Amino acid sequence: MNADFYQLKALVLKEYKEAFRDKRALMVALMMAFMAPVMIMVMSKIIIEKAIDEPPVYIKFTGAEHAPKLIDHLAKANLLSFADVPNDDKAIWDERNLTIEIPEDYVEYMSEGKPIKLHLQADFTDKAVKPPVRRINSAVREFSLSIGYKRLLLRGVDIRLLNPVKLVEQDTAEPNATFIFIAMMLGVYLMLAAFMSGLSVAIDSSAGERERNVLEMLLCQPVSTLKIVLAKLVGASTIAFIGVVLVLVLTSLSVGFVDLTKIGATFSLDMSTALFLMLLLLPICFLASALQLFVAFQTKSFKEAQSTVGMLIGIPAFIPFVVSMMDDRPQWLDWLPISGQSMIIESVFKGVEVNWLAVGATSGVTIAITVALVLALAQKLKSEKVVMALS
Amino acid sequence: MIEVNNLHKSFIDKKDKKNTVKALDGLSFTAKDGEITGILGPNGAGKTTCLRTLYGLLSADEGFATIDGISVTENPLAARAKLGIFPDKFGLYERLTAYEQIDYFASIHGMTGKAKKQAIEQVIEDLDLGDLAHRKTVGFSQGQRMKVTLAQSLVHQPQNFVLDEPTRGLDVMSTRILRNHLAKFKAKGHCILFSSHVMQEVAALCDRVIIVANGKLAAQGTPQELCELAGEEHLEEAFVKLIGSDEGVAA
Repeated sequence: MNADFYQLKALVLKEYKEAFRDKRALMVALMMAFMAPVMIMVMSKIIIEKAIDEPPVYIKFTGAEHAPKLIDHLAKANLLSFADVPNDDKAIWDERNLTIEIPEDYVEYMSEGKPIKLHLQADFTDKAVKPPVRRINSAVREFSLSIGYKRLLLRGVDIRLLNPVKLVEQDTAEPNATFIFIAMMLGVYLMLAAFMSGLSVAIDSSAGERERNVLEMLLCQPVSTLKIVLAKLVGASTIAFIGVVLVLVLTSLSVGFVDLTKIGATFSLDMSTALFLMLLLLPICFLASALQLFVAFQTKSFKEAQSTVGMLIGIPAFIPFVVSMMDDRPQWLDWLPISGQSMIIESVFKGVEVNWLAVGATSGVTIAITVALVLALAQKLKSEKVVMALS
Repeated sequence: MIEVNNLHKSFIDKKDKKNTVKALDGLSFTAKDGEITGILGPNGAGKTTCLRTLYGLLSADEGFATIDGISVTENPLAARAKLGIFPDKFGLYERLTAYEQIDYFASIHGMTGKAKKQAIEQVIEDLDLGDLAHRKTVGFSQGQRMKVTLAQSLVHQPQNFVLDEPTRGLDVMSTRILRNHLAKFKAKGHCILFSSHVMQEVAALCDRVIIVANGKLAAQGTPQELCELAGEEHLEEAFVKLIGSDEGVAA
């Protein structure tokens, strides 16, 4: 027993040394993990910008020459003159026909401190006109207030007197679709990280070693093929797991930089959630590496291994996607690897109670499949076919 | 002691049954302890197939091979534990240092702790690898690679030692070191089996020579006996004559 342990330890140590010393391959492998948080940040930034964006509005002014400061103020709020409308949008804005009339005596009234009447004309029943009208309204009020405040300040009045009551808005809405989208992305990313991070190590330690003629030497040694496979599995899945942990840590750090509250969403990845996800994905890391090793050993060359194993990446990307599309999911999806985990991840992010039975079932099935793959591969390495592929 | 008895091995092409290669056709020989036994044979004679069967990588269609009386097919791990192998094709783990490679194979052979450390240092000293030991093996010359491979197959002091063309690419100094090493092993009562194409080396080193042709034993004996058998003065001439005749000359 002890001797077996020492032998396995030496095998695993060697896999670790080889994996961690190939710095360039390691960086590429973990690139995915580094990319994930960046992608999620960029995506949510774009979504937020879209949600609070103010598209340009084109207004037909009459008498604009009387009030250049007002026009400037409106332009800052992206409320522009119809004269500047790009040709593509000309017809639309011509039809909406927003007009603002600035009276001739604007300058005179302004200097005298008399109220000035601006006339805004538009078809107020037109839905498309409503948001621009609202924006024009608030922009004009803002402009008006700023002048009013200055007048009061000049007369020595504290302008805070004008705002005895202030409304502070706090959004308590349920997480919206945007948030669920980010959570789903993260779910798929975690699966991808499990499959992609260990990929190069898995190929290198199987097809790569065969190509470099070191596998034959190893197969001639007094060591069972099961131990060889186990050592390679541990090596590759450790890297895969590091990928998963990196995605989780970096995402939880980077989400802090995005102000999701702007769109009424909150997203946090606390310690306990992250730990649970790591535990949930650990069997997936083993399964991914076992699958990759199994396929890589079947191929005839390193190149073939790279392209064939690369295709396996489709599995983690495709399954969660399909599962999320399904309306009524059959029970057995809970039990299968990848689909089971991706549904659990989904419910974790949605804040739904986690089905512990499903967690146990899907982890159990995943581990069982991994064990079967390892045993089959160990058996295969004893066969002549693998040896024949050596020469 | 290595014993090979009536080995048969065919490689069958699944699509084209006629395209079958008969690599071994009833090969038998014995390599005794305390002797250096050389295997000679033209390319494609079945030498590597025979050795791979001996390692347990290939299973023979018929016949058996034993190492110190342990059947290779029935108990491959125990049989391999008695073997030191210098294979036909070998590579190194290029991201490991020479010391780490030797350590790796020593550990696989079940060595641990102080005994392992001593054995590694001994073999490094014996093969004059001191300067290279703590360098990564990427960029090693062919000869340096051979030495590291030799070291990793010798580190556990195997009772039986199989070398497939061990001197290719070695310089004179290294070849001498290897020869001395093999002679020492022989004196200690180890069994050494090695294949080579260099006739002078076989003539100088081997106590017994086995000539293999077409998967069969063509002749065996001491280099002297083989020369006499073929009626030639040099082993090279004798070799050509012995494999050239279809009937073979069984000794």
